[in-house]
Amino acid sequence: MLAALLLLAAIQWDGGVFRISGWEAATEPPAGWSSIFSVYAGPGNVPPLLGTYSLESSSLVFRPRFPLSPGMHVHAVFQPPDGPRVESTFDIPAAVPLAATTRVSQVYPSAGVLPANALKLYVYFSAPMRKGGSWKHLHLLRDGVPVEYPFLELDQELWDRDQRRFTVLFDPGRIKRGLASLAEAGPALEEGHNYTLVIDRNWKDGRGAMLAEEFRKEFRVAAADRTPPDPKKWRLTVPRAGSAADLVIRFPKPLDYALLQHEIEVSAVTGKVSVERDETQWRFTPDHPWPAGTYTIVIRTTLEDLAGNHINRPFDVDTFDPITRTVATETVTLPLRIR
Amino acid sequence: MSFSNSFFRLATITCCVAALSLAAGINMPSGKVELKSAGALAMGPDGILFVGDSVGGAIVALDVDDRTPSKSDASLEIKGINEKIAAMLGTAADQILIQDVVVNPISKNVYIAVSRGRGADAIPVLLRAAPGGKLTEVSLASIKHMSVALLDQPQQDRQRMETITQLKYVDGKVLIAGLSNEEFSSSLRSIPFPFQTASKGTGIEIWHGSHGRFETQAPVRTFVPYEIKGEKAILAAYTCTPLVRIPVSELKAGNKVKGTTIAELGNRNKPIDMIVYAKGGKHYILMANSSRGVMKLTADNLETYQPITKQTETTGVPYETIASLKGVQHLDKYDDATALVLMGDAGSLDLRTVPLP
Repeated sequence: MLAALLLLAAIQWDGGVFRISGWEAATEPPAGWSSIFSVYAGPGNVPPLLGTYSLESSSLVFRPRFPLSPGMHVHAVFQPPDGPRVESTFDIPAAVPLAATTRVSQVYPSAGVLPANALKLYVYFSAPMRKGGSWKHLHLLRDGVPVEYPFLELDQELWDRDQRRFTVLFDPGRIKRGLASLAEAGPALEEGHNYTLVIDRNWKDGRGAMLAEEFRKEFRVAAADRTPPDPKKWRLTVPRAGSAADLVIRFPKPLDYALLQHEIEVSAVTGKVSVERDETQWRFTPDHPWPAGTYTIVIRTTLEDLAGNHINRPFDVDTFDPITRTVATETVTLPLRIR
Repeated sequence: MSFSNSFFRLATITCCVAALSLAAGINMPSGKVELKSAGALAMGPDGILFVGDSVGGAIVALDVDDRTPSKSDASLEIKGINEKIAAMLGTAADQILIQDVVVNPISKNVYIAVSRGRGADAIPVLLRAAPGGKLTEVSLASIKHMSVALLDQPQQDRQRMETITQLKYVDGKVLIAGLSNEEFSSSLRSIPFPFQTASKGTGIEIWHGSHGRFETQAPVRTFVPYEIKGEKAILAAYTCTPLVRIPVSELKAGNKVKGTTIAELGNRNKPIDMIVYAKGGKHYILMANSSRGVMKLTADNLETYQPITKQTETTGVPYETIASLKGVQHLDKYDDATALVLMGDAGSLDLRTVPLP
């Protein structure tokens, strides 16, 4: 009797693999190993786990294609051709409760006043976030009252590669002049009103934990801005030759925080960029002292202000103007003399 | 500081080692494919599957070796497909995202792009659903493939990214609609396939003109190829909801194109997918929207619709909303009488064929 028990096949789960013990595997059945041994993760009528089969020391081993997530209940079924069916269940240990430590670290634009046709917000988080279903955690209040659908709720959410920055577009259909949706729903942002952007705590981070706290940004809305940024109106603080002092450019109005990181450069000079004073100041710290000479500050026309007006081109243009440009990388330049 | 810009770059070819084959008459080397993400999908000629990898900044063409015609009465219904896929991947349904579905018109197999996990460490998985409902993984360990990079050094800039929102294969070209997470501009690309060494994935700027006086370079969200009186065109739906007609002949790299706005579909419409079909001798467009459900538009005589020229007009192409299709997240044409939909709510999604309305 004892010997017979020892010979019974059993399913073991160890080190992330499922192994049949007490049964000597020989040749693979015509319908494959999966026809006699399958593992199911999840309730109800679900397909078996993806994975690969191998023979290790005459034991049949199943390796799941992906590690099983914590808290899964797994059901393994082994039906040898020559013996009774064996079924086992395994509970993958649940994850330890996660501390809510991730927070919104910054929202750009950082100014307290936005134009009525503001186009974008960048929400920065202190740690990677979870993708999908993000829109329900963003709320906009006008004088304390929720605004319906202020944002372009794209299913394909605009995260950066590390999922630490979330780009939010105000619904362009409610900004652009001449669209039915503007007449239908009115603009999301209206001059003279006070707004609060609320990011609720239920937004999960990449580990699945809630945010440490709710985030609120208050701002006032001023008149719409339909004037393209004009580099001729920028004020330069020029370093002296031989110094490693910063080159500083002041703008009369805030520009797009993300684009400012890379859309302005100094010809043939390497250095670090920082964006300051509510995005009205661009600071360039050179890697090496400045040799005397003439330089060029190159500005890509893709640089935008807060309302999506590009250099030399407003967000929405009058179509009575001829459209003659061809697609190219376009830049404008400012001369820089270091002496 | 590097000039790590944006849409209009040289595209480079990344291929694996030789072992050239003649899959579908297209030379594609065989090897391992490592996707960083799998988003928008499109079927090309002869069972070629195009995968938009937004994180990797590339379009990958896979020969999925799927050229056996289906039986004529093929259909598909997989209830709770997100739960089933999650179970296959060893995780919970709320830990996966179904990014896109596309039908191979030859075999009626459905290809599904899935993200296992929702964090920055999510793993892309491609699955195939056969007409009977059986789900299998498309192995990328050794597959004939070819890819084209949309960026010079996509991994270098961790923040700036372009999300590929729609892919289509039209007349030897892969058309790609993308949305930048920094710039707000139209960036339709046209890349000839088979991808050529040093081919240019150059952008096309599209202005939808004749639409009030004020125009933006709003990005194209989704589009569908369509023939209007012998002229091939695409119907493009923009982020700010107008439906715009653009002749395919104009879609040349580096061109600036002026499209014609033929309909404005109202606020809250966030077009996801569109298909064009014929029924009872008439042509229709079926459009899935994230907010307003599925809309059916008359596509006959599209060329006769006058461009919308007044600021307050909401008309143009007439449309109706299909009440029976609620919660549609993805839509593709299955056959001449059937659409494939991924739909559902309360967390459970079904993948199924439905008669074209």
